[in-house]
Amino acid sequence: MSFLEQIGRPLIVWAEDAGALTLQLGATLWRLPRVLPILGNRRRWSSTLEQALAIGARALPMACTMSLCIGFVLALQGAAELRRFGGVNYVVNLLAVAFTRELGALVTAIAVSGRSASAISAEVGTMVVTEEMDALRVMGLNPVEFTLAPRYLGALIAVPCLTVLSTICGIFAGYAFLSLSIDMSFRIYWHAVFEAIVVRDIWLTLIKSVVFATIIVQVGYLEGLRVSGGPDAVGRAATTAVVKSTFLVIVADLVATWFFYTMGWSAAG
Amino acid sequence: MNISSAQLDPIIRMRDVSVSFGSRRVLDSVSLDVHRGEILVLLGGSGSGKTTLLKQVLGLMKPNTGSIMVKGVDITPCTPSELVAVRRHMGVAFQGAALFNSMSVQANVALPLQELTELSDSTISLITWIKLWMVGLAEAAHLYPSELSGGMRKRTAIARAIALDPEILVFDEPSAGLDPIVAAGLDELIVFLNNILGITILVVTHHLESAFRIADRIAMLYQGHLIAVDEKERFASNTHPRIRQFLDRKPDDVGGGEQGFMAAYMKEFQHEH
Repeated sequence: MSFLEQIGRPLIVWAEDAGALTLQLGATLWRLPRVLPILGNRRRWSSTLEQALAIGARALPMACTMSLCIGFVLALQGAAELRRFGGVNYVVNLLAVAFTRELGALVTAIAVSGRSASAISAEVGTMVVTEEMDALRVMGLNPVEFTLAPRYLGALIAVPCLTVLSTICGIFAGYAFLSLSIDMSFRIYWHAVFEAIVVRDIWLTLIKSVVFATIIVQVGYLEGLRVSGGPDAVGRAATTAVVKSTFLVIVADLVATWFFYTMGWSAAG
Repeated sequence: MNISSAQLDPIIRMRDVSVSFGSRRVLDSVSLDVHRGEILVLLGGSGSGKTTLLKQVLGLMKPNTGSIMVKGVDITPCTPSELVAVRRHMGVAFQGAALFNSMSVQANVALPLQELTELSDSTISLITWIKLWMVGLAEAAHLYPSELSGGMRKRTAIARAIALDPEILVFDEPSAGLDPIVAAGLDELIVFLNNILGITILVVTHHLESAFRIADRIAMLYQGHLIAVDEKERFASNTHPRIRQFLDRKPDDVGGGEQGFMAAYMKEFQHEH
């Protein structure tokens, strides 16, 4: 294989992925009104709620535990460094800012990606293998409206909620550390937290979590749709979905953060 | 069925349908009519292109060339929304039943009624019950697909396929994976639906017994070519070598035959004893 081929092949695959995801996202957005409450179809809305609960419940324990651990680790590392300047108190600011701006959304997205990107691709892949997708189309039901749009809207509801919860968990880990090490009181800690965070940061994080939810569901669904052949392909699709969506979440995080930074939105205060 | 009068009225008409995947030609200018009210069985071995042909008829795939008319409408240039209208007249029972696993039997059958009609809930549950009763599953309405046997799954799929009173019913390998008794029961159901409801039925299968039990006419597909379409009795006496091979269940000459390794091995084996 020539050098050019070695470079070109992954590029073509990457371009195909990007194109397919864009088209799929477009189709989802086009069908999204059909799954909204009141405006859309009653049954789609209830299946959306089911999906939101499933996505939330699947990732909740993992997202919160990961945030608690990372919060505690960050507090330990931060305290070791800040103690030299006599500023252990600033661990509060460190955690509050790190989690509201960055870690809450990212940790949640990684948990959801591990849990739900794989679950979605496996479900969709199974539907392809068992001809359920063909059955839907033959019955005149749109697979995007029936299977993708409820999952997407479900994730748009669940992931921001999870993000808020896991952010609280991460910041709570800081309280646990400070109350153990310097006996800081609960009220003082949370007072300091609310001093440190800015409402705009919370909004920016929620926007990020919506972007992450989009990536996770769309990548998971696309990998599921690509399943062909037997049940072993379903397993491979689940793995690919997790790898791709986690990778894309982190890249998207960089892009979003950089964008917010250049717009001057992430400047403190 | 009265074939002579039905012959005037093809409900599905395929003309010179060709399909290629890359350089491989899966269907080679196939022309086939399905007459209103008949049961046409499409026979073919693995890789003969029969599943591809089925997907053409259902509009799940488009042919490279040729036309497919369903009830007088050419579905090859159809937009998705036009296809939806044509498919309203068709019901499909897929090979693996393709039931929605998160829904009960009753919900599976009710689904097309809920989604595609304006009927009230009570009417829908009545129709659902009637359809389940017709396929002999009235007792199983509240079970889930995972709790059903293979035969029951297929019956559920049939109930769902006839929910909207289609004029055409398509079966993909109805007896695949079933024991002979259950398969015979399913054949009986297919003939029953044809007789009682007058539904035109297209069955794709490689099961000879089942084919001869239910068919009015039999068509045979071999490597993408339609090599015979005939009434059941005349088909049985067809002399085309491939059809003879299929009907007489002779294997291909891969390792078999006079010069193959199996024959050589058997010779050796007999010498030793």
